Amino acid sequence: MKILIVEDDRDLREIIAQSLEKERYVVEVAPDYRTAARKLAGYEYDCILLDIMLPDGNGLKLLEEKRKREKKCNVIILSAKDSIEDKVCGLDLGADDYLPKPFHLAELHARLKSVMRRKLRDGEAAVTCGNIAVYPDTFRVEVGGRPVELGRKEYDILLFFMYRVGRLVEKQVLAEAVWGDHIDQADNFDFVYAQMKNLRKRLKEAGATAEIKTVYGFGYKMTEP
Amino acid sequence: MKLLHVAVWRLSLVMAVVLSVWAFSFYAAMMEEVDDETDDALEDFAELVIIRSLRGEHVPTAPTGSNNQYFQREVSPEYAAAHNAIDYEDREVFIKEKGETEPARVLTYIYRTDDGRYMELEVSAPHIDKEDLRRAIFYWSVFLYAALLVVLVVLNVWIFRRNIRPLYVLLDWLKRYRLGARNEPLVNPTKISEFRQLNEAARRYSERSEEVYEQQKQFIGNASHEMQTPLAVCLNRLDLLVDDETLSERQLGEILKVRRTLDNLTRLNRSLLLLCKIDNGQFPESSRVSFNALLNHYLPDYQTAYAHLHIGVRLHESGVFETDMNESLAAMLLTNLLKNAYVHNVRGGEIEINVTSTAVRISNMSDEGALDPSLIFMRFHHSRRREGSTGLGLSLVRAICRQYGLTVSYAYEGGRHVFEVRR
Repeated sequence: MKILIVEDDRDLREIIAQSLEKERYVVEVAPDYRTAARKLAGYEYDCILLDIMLPDGNGLKLLEEKRKREKKCNVIILSAKDSIEDKVCGLDLGADDYLPKPFHLAELHARLKSVMRRKLRDGEAAVTCGNIAVYPDTFRVEVGGRPVELGRKEYDILLFFMYRVGRLVEKQVLAEAVWGDHIDQADNFDFVYAQMKNLRKRLKEAGATAEIKTVYGFGYKMTEP
Repeated sequence: MKLLHVAVWRLSLVMAVVLSVWAFSFYAAMMEEVDDETDDALEDFAELVIIRSLRGEHVPTAPTGSNNQYFQREVSPEYAAAHNAIDYEDREVFIKEKGETEPARVLTYIYRTDDGRYMELEVSAPHIDKEDLRRAIFYWSVFLYAALLVVLVVLNVWIFRRNIRPLYVLLDWLKRYRLGARNEPLVNPTKISEFRQLNEAARRYSERSEEVYEQQKQFIGNASHEMQTPLAVCLNRLDLLVDDETLSERQLGEILKVRRTLDNLTRLNRSLLLLCKIDNGQFPESSRVSFNALLNHYLPDYQTAYAHLHIGVRLHESGVFETDMNESLAAMLLTNLLKNAYVHNVRGGEIEINVTSTAVRISNMSDEGALDPSLIFMRFHHSRRREGSTGLGLSLVRAICRQYGLTVSYAYEGGRHVFEVRR
């Protein structure tokens, strides 16, 4: 899997590269539009992480470039602007996702996996961990090939962890991701715990090999068998 | 108090004083003149009587056709020594011919005859009734005062209408002026240079404050914006650290705490950017939004998240509150109010929501007492410091309301915080 990071901030570029390399992606970096356009012309990438505010031009131009050259790579826009116009414009020009800065690396990995999944199997593809398979396009969950019925929030929680296998997820982050940003000031996470308990029970009953463990005092982590 | 009233009031005060002084001086001058004339006449008359008397001529006992009277008697030398030789006084005198007393000017003369006797001669002439004169002058002064006052008011009104109009045009413009909003230009042509200067000053200062306001807005926007990338760097470095398997549990805990604080900072920064965008009207896409639907959508989430507080919620929908606005902003408006209703509640408390076609009213029990309505909508005002609170929630609510012509108000009624959004 080959990824091009187009980002003008050196620190951020290095951190993202480091984090992706740890996940065994092949990473190339470009600090400005010119370098990025040159690399895009010369090489093939599976995905581009694209900052749109570059010192020598708008990153959105790279999307047009990509279309002109009929490149098939995916694009995730990383933007400090977080403006709806940019988002709409970017997605219209063929970007696959839009991630406003600052973001957590776990979030970036999850978006990357989600985009890749769609690319690799052209849509109807599963996210898997152990014998659990989740089909995000049809909201189906299978454990060991047998369908499992989950509640809506249970499904959301499971999918969230499927994209973040092996990563520590704090309760606060999980609550905001599954229930929404408007839950940002909750000071008691019993409601997360209750849903988690149900989800674990369902997975265990279905004989799942992967499990979501409690990291005591911090949150949860999904582990592969 | 209006300028016109002040001017008339002051002028009438000054006039009252001036007219009083004038009336008094006029009276005094008149009296002096009258006394002077009368005294001269009396002196002549007295001298005539004395000369005749000294000559041994016959002195008429009765007045000679005029109202003048005289009376002569002999006095002791002691008496003469004790009194002035010539003395004037005002006195009531009985006039025989008329058979009544009248105010008169009396001249008393003491003289010595050739044979050494002292004689006192008293000559009197009827005089103006000073009391009457005073009264007349007083009444005429009052009348003059009233007449002048009427003229003054009429004159002032006329002058104000004609000349001060540009001032009122300017005042009206200033009253309608809103910083940062679209204002119509000041059109106030006038020949009066003071008003032209005033117009110019008003125009200059409004332009200057617009400029500063714009700069400040841009500054906040740019500052928040510039912080996004450094924030991302900090967050992501910590993300990398968290994945490190060799960390001790204590170290992990500390890192997560720092990360949580950074998350709060991120949220604060996003809210600031959002405020800027709302103020700049950068949320163009509007749609028909039903507050009822939004409330019904978000309430269950909050009931779940704050279930441990056992707060009862009553939602009365007696109408549908629909308005054209950006849907995500509408959601933000309501979720901020709902969140506050939970966060500033009491355990086992209550939230009451009333929706009509023109207003949404959210009230919640609280033990905090009344909040200051002039402060709570200000940026970074915290009634009670809470972890994770940005202090921008109600500022956002107000900014969103203002953007879409809604009003939001706060009241404290019967131990409850009441927020109301009206169209």
